[in-house]
Amino acid sequence: MITTALIAIMVVMVIVLLRAWLGPSLYDRVLAINTFGTATVLAIAILGFYMQRPAFMDIAIVYSLINFIGTVAVLKLYRFDSLGHREEEKS
Amino acid sequence: MSIRRNPVLRESSHLLIPAILLFALYVQFHGDYGPGGGFQAGVIFASAIILYALLHGTRRAEKIIPLKLARTFAALGILIYSFTGILGIILGGNFLNYNVLAHDPIHGQHWGILLIELGVGITVGSVIISIFYAFAKFKK
Repeated sequence: MITTALIAIMVVMVIVLLRAWLGPSLYDRVLAINTFGTATVLAIAILGFYMQRPAFMDIAIVYSLINFIGTVAVLKLYRFDSLGHREEEKS
Repeated sequence: MSIRRNPVLRESSHLLIPAILLFALYVQFHGDYGPGGGFQAGVIFASAIILYALLHGTRRAEKIIPLKLARTFAALGILIYSFTGILGIILGGNFLNYNVLAHDPIHGQHWGILLIELGVGITVGSVIISIFYAFAKFKK
């Protein structure tokens, strides 16, 4: 059962990586990387359940938080050409 | 449109930032028994500040944690670390010997690990915040 779930997540990761490689626009690639991170979180949670280590849940939470912040940072860099400025005056 | 005007991003980030700060403290002080420790807690704490700076700009983030404060805290963490190490020498052990910090060696090890990880966490968090400021204020 757990092995099946892990294999399914691996298949999802391969497909998502293909989308990140082929993706015509940048948004496809960003979305693919974000989905890859979500799949990694699920894989970590399932591995923690499989290896009887509930502490893996902490790592999964941290991974999802970093994933969110990284996606926001990449999108802001692409949209505003800068990470830190308040772009009130521009656009 | 400014990034602050985006209601989904703004509200979800304002929900997430206190949770991230709390989780950083959990990783810091529960690091003896679970995964984590000073380095990871510092990175998680800095990532909360980075999320705030992404949302509101570095100018408002620097009102919370100025660059000078970050640099001071980076030095303070190293001071805590080396102070704990030298305290072991003063109390009659080796450098970074925790056993002599309290009457009971196991209590001494608890205190020593807590202080060391606190120093590491403060330094790593401040250094990562100042690295982010240096990158974010870069203008083409």
